[in-house]
Amino acid sequence: MNEKMILDIHDLDISFKTTAGNVHAIRGINIDLEKGETVAIVGESGSGKSVTMKAAMGILAKNATVNSGKIEFKYSNEQGEQVVDILQKDKRWIRKHINGKRIAMVFQDPMTSLDPTMTIGKQLMEGLLWHFDISKEEAKNRSISLLKEVGINDAEKRMKQYPHQLSGGMRQRVVIAIALSCNPDLLICDEPTTALDVTIQAKIIELIKKVQEERGISVIYITHDLGVVAKVADYVNVMYAGKIVEKGTINEIFYDPRHPYTWGLLSAMPDLSTDDPRLYTIPGSPPNLLNEKPGDAFAPRNKFALEIDDKLEPPMFKVTDTHYAATWLLDERAPKVEMPKELRERLDRMKKEAAEYGSEL
Amino acid sequence: MSDISAYVPRKEDFRLKNETEELGLDSNFASQNFWKEVVIRFFNKRSAVIGLVLILLIILFAAIGPGMNDYTYEGMIQEEKNLAPRVSWLEKFGIFDGSETMTTSVGDMEVNKYEDAGLTDTYYWFGSDIYGRDLWTRCWSGTRVSLIIAIAAAFIDMLIGMSYGLISGFFGGKVDMVMQRFLEICNGIPRLVIVTLLLLILKPGMLTIIFALLLTEWVGMSRIARAEMLKLKEQEFVLASRTLGAGSFFIIFKEVLPNIVGPVITQVMFSIPTAIFTEAFLSFVGLGIPVPKCSLGSLISDGYNSFTTHPYQIIPPIIIMALLMLSFNLLGDGLREAFDPKMKEM
Amino acid sequence: MKKYVLKRVLTSIGTLLAIVLVLFILMHLMPGSPFNDEKLTDVQREVIYAKYGLDDPIVVQFGRYVVNMCKGDFGVSYKISKNTPISQLIETRLPISIGIGFYAVARGAVIGLILGLLAALKRDTIIDTVCTIVSVIGVSVPSYVFALGLSYTLGFKWKIFPMLYDSADALGSSVMPSIALSMFTMASIARFTRTEMIEVLGSEYMLLAESKGLSGTKLIFTHALRNALIPIITVLAPLVVDLMTGSLVVEKIFAIPGVGSLLVNAIQSNDYNVVIALSFIYSAMYIVIMLVVDILYGIIDPRIRLGKEGD
Repeated sequence: MNEKMILDIHDLDISFKTTAGNVHAIRGINIDLEKGETVAIVGESGSGKSVTMKAAMGILAKNATVNSGKIEFKYSNEQGEQVVDILQKDKRWIRKHINGKRIAMVFQDPMTSLDPTMTIGKQLMEGLLWHFDISKEEAKNRSISLLKEVGINDAEKRMKQYPHQLSGGMRQRVVIAIALSCNPDLLICDEPTTALDVTIQAKIIELIKKVQEERGISVIYITHDLGVVAKVADYVNVMYAGKIVEKGTINEIFYDPRHPYTWGLLSAMPDLSTDDPRLYTIPGSPPNLLNEKPGDAFAPRNKFALEIDDKLEPPMFKVTDTHYAATWLLDERAPKVEMPKELRERLDRMKKEAAEYGSEL
Repeated sequence: MSDISAYVPRKEDFRLKNETEELGLDSNFASQNFWKEVVIRFFNKRSAVIGLVLILLIILFAAIGPGMNDYTYEGMIQEEKNLAPRVSWLEKFGIFDGSETMTTSVGDMEVNKYEDAGLTDTYYWFGSDIYGRDLWTRCWSGTRVSLIIAIAAAFIDMLIGMSYGLISGFFGGKVDMVMQRFLEICNGIPRLVIVTLLLLILKPGMLTIIFALLLTEWVGMSRIARAEMLKLKEQEFVLASRTLGAGSFFIIFKEVLPNIVGPVITQVMFSIPTAIFTEAFLSFVGLGIPVPKCSLGSLISDGYNSFTTHPYQIIPPIIIMALLMLSFNLLGDGLREAFDPKMKEM
Repeated sequence: MKKYVLKRVLTSIGTLLAIVLVLFILMHLMPGSPFNDEKLTDVQREVIYAKYGLDDPIVVQFGRYVVNMCKGDFGVSYKISKNTPISQLIETRLPISIGIGFYAVARGAVIGLILGLLAALKRDTIIDTVCTIVSVIGVSVPSYVFALGLSYTLGFKWKIFPMLYDSADALGSSVMPSIALSMFTMASIARFTRTEMIEVLGSEYMLLAESKGLSGTKLIFTHALRNALIPIITVLAPLVVDLMTGSLVVEKIFAIPGVGSLLVNAIQSNDYNVVIALSFIYSAMYIVIMLVVDILYGIIDPRIRLGKEGD
């Protein structure tokens, strides 16, 4: 673990026992995150994004088994800097030292993630009173300023209201306020905007970005929306069937993608200026992790699959110091395959536009 | 895994497969048949399977039981009253040998009325009742009657309740409002009151009991059907059908109905024990099947009158009824979980 | 909330009126009531009709009937206890029945809750299996079977409690009946609590609460229990009905001088007036309980109490 590292997930492997059989949901993944950085984990539903993050918070479902791996987390307390392997700690310890206090989570659906029978204020103060030795009055004041920080007007009035009296966007702001209440070092956002209207999505993303800058915290985004990724992330991890298939900086992933799955994801992004009226989709659906097959899990859906893909899983090939991809196409023996022409044109156009408008993307 | 990772790639492996036609074939979800999954989930639940087996066994005995010996359900033999159970091949072990313990003023004593009356070759498997009728035959013909009543009531119930609920849910608006107010009023009258009042004006008998059960049980079914309809009618396949010009009748019965089979069957399985119980209750109160016919309820009611002196007379119908209700509940539970797996597994 | 209460009160009144109407019609259809007696001469009939107001328009008669019912004037019994006002018969019996019913519900609800919670929290363990078996048996086996079993063992064989009701030992006499009656309540509540609790425990707000780092007990007591308990109130009302039905037979088995055994007697001896009066009382009690439960539910659940705003 280097100086600035805050979270290091190493070789994580998780399976679930279900009535249908053993589901091998996470198959050896590595993710690292530095202080103040934003990492996005991108993938289709069921690729194991959320499971990974639940493991980091110690809130995995009871039928989950961690087969191997480490989740190292660095934090500082009175004794100085500490590095712990979250997987080695018991639930009670994690609750007391990690959950809420150092790692907090924002969930997907604000309609269901707040307790319907408890006032907003109580739900906000709950964590504060639990983790810190402060008076009720103090907790209340802090809660009100938190609500103001996340952009809620009439904070005093809202404290006494119940979740159903608030709109979806407001509720998500409350959820973010709850997540921020105990000053976490790391914020995990699990599809924070998927359940919201498009107009509100942008506002919520801006809000998360704002608090990240002000507080200097690290953020992990779990999402399937590349549009969100483009706006927020420094690094991107593309996940498929419980594995990371490509990782790199945002520019590398968007302008120089190497994995055919990433090509597919980028092609499937809706875009105003393409000439093609059809919306591209990746053929087929993600594999059922119940029946594991040898070779590359993406091969059956891959237009550029090689013979070797059915026999052996590709290792991570290094493209640059920050850019890796797990596809046999990068092997020197492989035939030279370029990304589809339409995608190439599209990415070039995006790059040009970005340069013109001076924005990052 | 180890043999696979040991594979060393050769040069010819690095060739494009070019199998574009196979792309996009959905191999995961296409093969997952809904009914097949339901069956698998159902048979994975042991209690549900036990329930099903017990029900089938009881139905089998209800069908063939009364014909398994020479007695009839109404034939009385004056000399053979209140005989304890006696089974020929169990006699040797000292159980079911026809003896019973009588509590008298001088204390308990063991008597065997078969021996006292010199009936060496007479066997009443469940014993005989105070009129000298064979309890084995009566129990199984009573089970038959109870089952017929319960199943008939549950199915007619399903038809009425389902139609009511589907129509109310489908048309919505004013129709729904009126239909739901009516339902609320019906639901506000205790079942007990409806049944007793009805039986006061109608002649007791099988049809009357079925009718009484109908009047009280359709409400639950219609609620379920309505809720499902409200949920389904906004879904795409129904909207699609409507935009294609399908009529109300078609949508209700061809589009929605097949999709609510699960909850409806489950509800039927739960209403059968309620019907059995209500029938038994009516018989106990004296509004049941007229004599000499019998049902489980009337057998229990008869046995109750002498249950301190001859407890064996009440035990078989009680056990059969308890097993029946238990099995239907287990079956219903199993079906509910098979149709609608609530458990999130990941 | 006001609108909700008003709507519920109106429905309740409507239901009660509907029941009284049915009873009123039955009263007139019933064979063997003194008004339909064929032995009466026309003159006698006219006298009786005038005396009871039977020559008034039917609406007036119905109005009077409703008023009488609500005042507790149910007429007299014909068979069970000749010419005794029914209200007198009921007066002494109702408290006994209500008392036993109350014990049964209270005991059943408390034990059922504990069993259901244990089963949900220790899901898929041996505790869960045991609780499930107990509750399935409780739901499946009719209360009078329990009553017979208790009466035979505790009453007849071991003589711990009196087999038949003894007014000198009212408390001891009501132990067995209330246990028998509470089995169904207990089992239903246990099952319902388990399902509700499992659903709540799997909900996203529990995950959020867990991610705050709260302790297990705090999670269960401040978040899970409250959310699971609110819907449980709604099953209490239907349970009361089953209790009524059960009480009829159980009261007969233990010879309890309550309204249940009175109704059984009345049915068996065709004492229509008593049956109708008791039907009215049962319905009224049921409707009031349903109303109270619904309003209570509205008060406890903020989603109904405060209604929607914003959205």
